[in-house]
Amino acid sequence: MKLTKARALILIAFSVPVAIELRTVAGFFNVELPLIAVAVIEFLFLALLFVLYGLYGEGSESAA
Amino acid sequence: MATASGGSEFVDKFPDEAAIIKASFLIAFVSLGIGAFFGLIQALHRTNVLRVIDSADYYTLLTGHGVLLAIVFTIFFLCGVFHWAVARSLDRPAESALFSWAWVGLMTTGTVLATVAILGGLVPNLGMSADVLFTFYAPLQAHPIFYIGLAMFIVGTWLSGADWFLSYRAWRQDHPDERIPLQTFMVLTTMIMWYISTLGVAVSVVFFLIPWSLGLIESVNPLLTRTLFWYFGHPIVYFWLMPAYLLWYTVLPKLAGGRLFSDPLARVVFLLFLLLSTPVGIHHQYLDPGIAEGFKFIAMTNTMFLLLPSLLTAFTVVASVEHGARQRGGEGYLRWLGALPWRDPAFTGMALAGAMFAAGGFSGMINAGMNINYLIHNTLWVPGHFHLTVGTAVALTMMAGSYWLVPQVTGTKLYSRPIGLLQVIMWFVGMVFMSNAMHRAGLAGIPRRTAEPQYQNFEFLTPIGSIFELRVQIALGGTLLFLSVVLFLFNILLTSLGEESDRPVDSYLPEPLSGPEGSPRILDNLAMWTGIAAVLVVLAYTLPLAGIIQNGGGLFGGGLPVPATVSAGFDLVMTTVTSAFNTLWGVVA
Ligand code: HEM
Ligand SMILES: [Cu+2]
Repeated sequence: MKLTKARALILIAFSVPVAIELRTVAGFFNVELPLIAVAVIEFLFLALLFVLYGLYGEGSESAA
Repeated sequence: MATASGGSEFVDKFPDEAAIIKASFLIAFVSLGIGAFFGLIQALHRTNVLRVIDSADYYTLLTGHGVLLAIVFTIFFLCGVFHWAVARSLDRPAESALFSWAWVGLMTTGTVLATVAILGGLVPNLGMSADVLFTFYAPLQAHPIFYIGLAMFIVGTWLSGADWFLSYRAWRQDHPDERIPLQTFMVLTTMIMWYISTLGVAVSVVFFLIPWSLGLIESVNPLLTRTLFWYFGHPIVYFWLMPAYLLWYTVLPKLAGGRLFSDPLARVVFLLFLLLSTPVGIHHQYLDPGIAEGFKFIAMTNTMFLLLPSLLTAFTVVASVEHGARQRGGEGYLRWLGALPWRDPAFTGMALAGAMFAAGGFSGMINAGMNINYLIHNTLWVPGHFHLTVGTAVALTMMAGSYWLVPQVTGTKLYSRPIGLLQVIMWFVGMVFMSNAMHRAGLAGIPRRTAEPQYQNFEFLTPIGSIFELRVQIALGGTLLFLSVVLFLFNILLTSLGEESDRPVDSYLPEPLSGPEGSPRILDNLAMWTGIAAVLVVLAYTLPLAGIIQNGGGLFGGGLPVPATVSAGFDLVMTTVTSAFNTLWGVVA
């Protein structure tokens, strides 16, 4: 499946609620996640998406 | 959904209807723009990020925001969609274009009067204001112009319904044995619900609030106006949702590349809303003294029944969308999601709106529970909840739907699909920030409807994160939402200014997988369903209203309220019945 711009945008959109509530989920397991950790995780996710877009994105040759 | 538009565009086939729809959309979108601007100011003000207004004016803007968005934008858009749906599905124009313009004109005049009264509050020496919030019950009082505008607006909606019933009657004469086309069925059942429920607010406005604001009567029974408001205030929720459901059932599956799963099920859902949406309004009054606990409990159980048609909708719509994805070659348990047309802002917007509605549904169940309601009552949780439901499920569906509908009534191509896509995604992200933080702030006890929730010598606490973060999230979310509205208006404006094109969108709607033949004929018996709905309303409201009138010192208040008991209402009904019986007996004997 190609990672189109639209699909990438949708993935980014859905990552926002997950990131916001990540600390609650961690709280269930008695892990106190600081805000900065969440920011880093979200940033890493976006970076990963960016790389994947470069590899499998609309402009690239290879199709996943 | 029998007819395809067969190549010719809606605007070519029904030019008069297209003009009415365009006018309705225009007013809806202007209201959306102004209302969203007020929303931004509020979001920044109450989080103390940026204060451009005096805190004393907060109520004026909040009233403008609530009225322009939750009443004017949604209902004008609904009128446009319903007018389209009736003409399209019956495949005939309205009986009289003049009559259609009459309701557009009446509703518009009402809107202008009410808006002038509200905004008058910003001009101190005008002596006019209507800071009564969109719930407008006593003891808050507005300038008479506000209530008169409101009454005109409501009568306008009654006429619009009459317009669609007249079309239906004319169609019925030519097609005596056919099933009511699905979209028309949806419009008619929704309007019957609307007639039943607006009676309450009409009584409140015409008999109590207008005479009171004119000084003709000295006082009103505030609990009575509250109860009459909520008698209408819950069904209006479904009046907002039904146009969204109409689009989800009849348009979304097509955009996904498939077709509706079951036409009979869709009909059952609309009938359930007609029956169940009115006898529940008391669930907004769990904390009102003057209504006995027993009636609140009954309202709660009725409310829980209402979950059924919404859950049925979730299943049917998701099944139809999945069917569409599989038609497009989607496979696997979840991988089919990737096969959906995410590039299309109309599809993506509606799908995201539906997803957020699920979250709103959960917080709604919490609101509905009599005991947990006490925890979140009148906190910021409540606007958090309804910005997911009316503010997203409805408003985002309406914006997304416009990307598909507006080209059909203007004959022009959508200006930009990528901007549309960005816009709906921005709404989603903005709303995640704002609404999530509002829910949390509510759990921390921060009140709603106040310019300055920060108190001296008092601190709100959250279990996770800080109040500061929540404030930032609300301000950030509100800003994204406002920018999203700007993008939307810009896109629609440029669309309507564009060049005419032969085929601006593919407007064909396919037949459902399981058609209307499978559904029992009794579903089409609208008179019978109306009767049942009315009986349910009488059962749910007679005793509470009698009690409120007795406890609250009569129809016009004034007396000292006495504590509520079930027997108070019961006593009044019994005394009335016995005295009527005695009178009758006296006549007979
Ligand atoms: C730009 C988008 C929006 C923003 C930034 C926004 C923001 C806000 C804020 C901050 C409040 C005040 C909460 C309080 O003080 O209690 C509010 C209230 C409200 N909003 Fe929105 N909102 C937006 C869109 C909408 C939409 C689309 C609707 C409905 C279609 C809506 C309906 C309402 C209603 C009914 C109220 C409550 C008014 C009252 O309490 O009387 N909003 N909004
Ligand atoms: Cu309700």
